[in-house]
Amino acid sequence: MSEEHFIGVETARPDAPDKVSGRTQYVHDIAVPGMLWGAIRFSDHAHARIKHVDTSAAERLPGVKAVITAYNTPEVRIGFLRDNFALKRDKVRQYRDEIAAVAASDPDTAREAASLIRVEYEPLPGVFSPEEALVEGAVLVHETDARGRPRADNVVPVRFAHHSGDIEAGKRASKFIVEGEYTVPLIQQSCLGTAGCIASFDARGNLTLIAKTQIPFLVQRDFNKALEALGLEGRNVRVVVPALGGGFGTGLDTHAYEYIAMLLAWRTGQPVKILYNREEEFAYLSPRQSATSRIRQGCDENGKLTFREIEVVQDNGAYTSWGATFPSVMLVPATSLYRVSNISFESKIVYTNNTYCQAMRGYGNPEITWPIESSIDELAEQAGMDPYEMRLLNCNQPGETTPMGLKITTCGLKECLDRTAEKLDWGTNRGKGKGVSRGFGMASVINVAGGGKIYRSDGSGIILKLDDYGNVNVSYGGVEMGQGLHSALILTVAEAFGVKPDQVVINQTDTATCPWDVGTHASRGAFMACNAAVMAARKLRQRLFEWAEEIYPQQVEESLTKARKHNPEFREPEFDWRAAASRDRFELADGILRVQGAPDRPELQVELGRLLRAIHFRKQGGGTTFAEEAFYEPPTDLPDWERGYGNMSATYAFGTQGVEVYVDEETGEVRIVRLVAAHDVGRVLNPQTLRGQIYGALAQGVGYALYEEVHTDKGRVLNPGFTDYKLPTACEMNFPIHIELIETNDPEGPFGAKGVGEPGLVPTAPAIANAIYDAVGVRIRDLPITPEKVLRALKHQRAGSPVR
Amino acid sequence: MAYEYHRSGSLEEALVLAAGDDSALIAGGTDLLVALRKRKRPAPRHMVSIRSLPELAEVSEQAGSLHIGAGVPMADVLANTVVREHLPALTAALAVIGSRQIRNVATLGGNLCNASPAADSAPPLLVYEATLELAGSSGRREIAISDFFLGPGRTVLRPGEIMTAIRVPLPGAGAQSAFLRRSRVAMDLATASLAAAYTARDGKLINLRLAAGAVAPTPLRLRRTEAFLEGKPVAEETLAEAAEIARSEVAPISDLRGSEWYRRELIGVFLSRALRPRSTRMKGSA
Ligand SMILES: Cc1cc2nc3c(=O)[nH]c(=O)nc-3n(C[C@H](O)[C@H](O)[C@H](O)COP(=O)(O)OP(=O)(O)OC[C@H]3O[C@@H](n4cnc5c(N)ncnc54)[C@H](O)[C@@H]3O)c2cc1C
Repeated sequence: MSEEHFIGVETARPDAPDKVSGRTQYVHDIAVPGMLWGAIRFSDHAHARIKHVDTSAAERLPGVKAVITAYNTPEVRIGFLRDNFALKRDKVRQYRDEIAAVAASDPDTAREAASLIRVEYEPLPGVFSPEEALVEGAVLVHETDARGRPRADNVVPVRFAHHSGDIEAGKRASKFIVEGEYTVPLIQQSCLGTAGCIASFDARGNLTLIAKTQIPFLVQRDFNKALEALGLEGRNVRVVVPALGGGFGTGLDTHAYEYIAMLLAWRTGQPVKILYNREEEFAYLSPRQSATSRIRQGCDENGKLTFREIEVVQDNGAYTSWGATFPSVMLVPATSLYRVSNISFESKIVYTNNTYCQAMRGYGNPEITWPIESSIDELAEQAGMDPYEMRLLNCNQPGETTPMGLKITTCGLKECLDRTAEKLDWGTNRGKGKGVSRGFGMASVINVAGGGKIYRSDGSGIILKLDDYGNVNVSYGGVEMGQGLHSALILTVAEAFGVKPDQVVINQTDTATCPWDVGTHASRGAFMACNAAVMAARKLRQRLFEWAEEIYPQQVEESLTKARKHNPEFREPEFDWRAAASRDRFELADGILRVQGAPDRPELQVELGRLLRAIHFRKQGGGTTFAEEAFYEPPTDLPDWERGYGNMSATYAFGTQGVEVYVDEETGEVRIVRLVAAHDVGRVLNPQTLRGQIYGALAQGVGYALYEEVHTDKGRVLNPGFTDYKLPTACEMNFPIHIELIETNDPEGPFGAKGVGEPGLVPTAPAIANAIYDAVGVRIRDLPITPEKVLRALKHQRAGSPVR
Repeated sequence: MAYEYHRSGSLEEALVLAAGDDSALIAGGTDLLVALRKRKRPAPRHMVSIRSLPELAEVSEQAGSLHIGAGVPMADVLANTVVREHLPALTAALAVIGSRQIRNVATLGGNLCNASPAADSAPPLLVYEATLELAGSSGRREIAISDFFLGPGRTVLRPGEIMTAIRVPLPGAGAQSAFLRRSRVAMDLATASLAAAYTARDGKLINLRLAAGAVAPTPLRLRRTEAFLEGKPVAEETLAEAAEIARSEVAPISDLRGSEWYRRELIGVFLSRALRPRSTRMKGSA
């Protein structure tokens, strides 16, 4: 297909050997000399005034080095609306509110001391759903905003909306209209590696933070601000990212525990580590929020979509993190999945006394694709059409600009739909469900795949540095969290610069050594890193080739001299290598420098390390070493959020998933028989890690569809652990998965690749729900689709009464 | 969670240790250690291991009964050919308990003594009418398994008493048994389970015994349903009526594993699936 050496070649990921042999250092494994352990005292109420905090018993416990509260530390505000505090002073608004913290010589003492802190409260009534919180006169979660101005209601002041075309005209043009309300539950990102950090100050007040983060540079900014609160203006935070046991969005904001570690470290003058156990991870970290969407869609008599109208209400929980901005991503599928010209999208995010929410893989996209793709099937049924044909008819096309202003460059959606239908033998199989309890369903996805501009810069810097042996050291500020970023980056650097993958080494992500990167989210990691790497590799080659004009002939001369001496049958090469030694004729591949057109003689080839040493130790002095940086900023717009308009990504990924299910009509259980995932990935960089991304995302999609839910009772998490929070196990994933990779070779992508991190989990749930409907004729509109919900719906269906 | 761990060499020694203050018996530890870690019970000062006691470690056939040492790991019980051949309901139950790793250490005695309403070995042992052998400092006694459970986590075991063996009468020729169970995902406790044992003679159910798990404070025999079905031919209408009785005979709670309503539904489904002749069972049912 191309003359590339490594791109598209199945290559074992570089981090695998250390991971499987237990050598990888996660934050759990790291200890620094003199380190103390921190523990946090969390709230006992969902909503209450703090009357008094008594820390005396904790202070007396042997081994305790410091106990801090909001009363004896400077105020540190967190969150992009600054509505949260590292330690709470007057009021708690959720069960996980941090009231006090302890630093002690070991984790058990720290936890025991935290439990000895006595807090007196005046309990307040709470609001535990958006409906409750929106009632006239509902108790206010925040009486004032961050600037102290009184608040009138519980609506979070962020707005994402989009209105284009003419909804009423769209409705008039509709022959068929469907409407439905769909919900998604609170779910946990379920990283295998729980959250934790180590904060250490040097004697001058600079902080080093070993943090489980996906946004080291934004964290640096937030923590530098927090240093100011400690009176440490001008001091710096260095963020070092250890190996991550999963991120999935948990690392997209700073967390109170990180500031608390910082405060404890500053108070004690010793490094402080805070590490959550599984129960704490569930109860005290921000999950993915629940949401309710009302959708109306219509089509004309031919099945052409006429309008789409969506209203979303999200439960923000007590404070504001990035969960509140999910609608910014919902806009992409809401306006641009299939061609619809009349669109209305409104969203509302509401404070409650539930746990506050954060980002997770897909970031709003699965939440909204769930109603859109379920509703497409409902509409197709109304219109008497095959839902696959309806999707084809309204399929996105390359080169189109969508109502949101997204510029679709390459688009493999039609191929994805076709391949899925083909692999499932759609035409013969679908629609035969009733009676055999077997059904087929499909759903599609559009996702940002060339960054997602939500910040002033969506760029990524990179530094490539050569050592004397031809190894390329890569400093990149994005985060490998298990997704395979480093594997893609290594292949790209090897290919673009011209060495073997084994010669590429990726440094630890560290704000002190890596150039700025906005963070690893929005499926952007490999797309950005590899684009920046290609730019830097080009510069590096250029400078190397300039130097080679002088050094290459010397090296060849040396080789020839040696060869003449040692080889009696030596023949002079019939090639004027002196004349050919010019920057535009050099070639570097597999770590060997050659010139174009030269005969394949070893004497005319110079191994990169040898060349570099010869340049470095240049005989006449004045040699050099090599390092080049590049910064890739994708050609995108920061959208106008009030209008919901702007081309936020340099390219978009498409995909379709199709599934066959078996439904046990007596127990309501759903078994997946097989699954097809067809994804437009632009170009395959490493098939192994790409498949890994799709398999992993699919498993999360299956979990979202069938099993996962954080249960709460008046704000308290009832299932803080894997005993009662159910992820699919290998036994549930025990069905054939057929992956189809569609290559559309995106012109903006590195070697044509698009971002692939998130799309795999987006359409899974609606594909399964559509298949269940095909099997037994019941439509479940709230996730997860438990056997109980299916059985209830089946009973209602048999009794002839409506499901809801 | 600091405690002293005692690895006793004989039953006598273990009984002495277990009779001491603030001590707990530990077999596989797969219930006990989880409960301690979750602080569901206070940590004992002395942990008395009974895993390696020779008296508890044997599986043997004795006079038409299978004698299963209470300390035998489930994996070994499961590997026993007599169990596999004659006790299909017990085999099916043990095969789904936890995972292979759990079954390598978890014991049958621990499963029963822990007295979870969802203990998967209990419904099969109830329908096989097993006898439990107990040893205490004041002597030995035997008790029918149907008299053993008192409530969630509660049994008739006296402080310091050790279950030494489970004795299961081997069913006669022509006897059939089955175990059905549902959980949310693999490696999960049962949402509901049901065991059935019977002999089909001239199309009629003879000597029918039914027991259910996770649908009442203890694993329980469904005696009203049994009485209704005894001697009756298996017809769909009869099964439907029996399912109704079974649904009313259980007393489930609603929790994160399932609602009361759903658990009753499952019991009804399990009942008809266990008793329906194989050929007419629905595809995909276990
Ligand atoms: C991941 C996981 C999955 C599980 N899945 C299942 C499942 O699917 N089904 C199921 O039923 N259970 C399940 N369990 C629970 C547990 O594994 C079983 O109940 C197991 O049989 C307990 O046996 P044990 O030997 O580990 O008991 P232990 O934990 O050692 O003991 C349990 C209790 O019984 C007492 N005890 C033990 N042996 C004796 C004896 N001989 N005499 C007197 N008292 C005694 C102990 O003092 C303790 O109170 C699971 C557990 C885990 C961790």
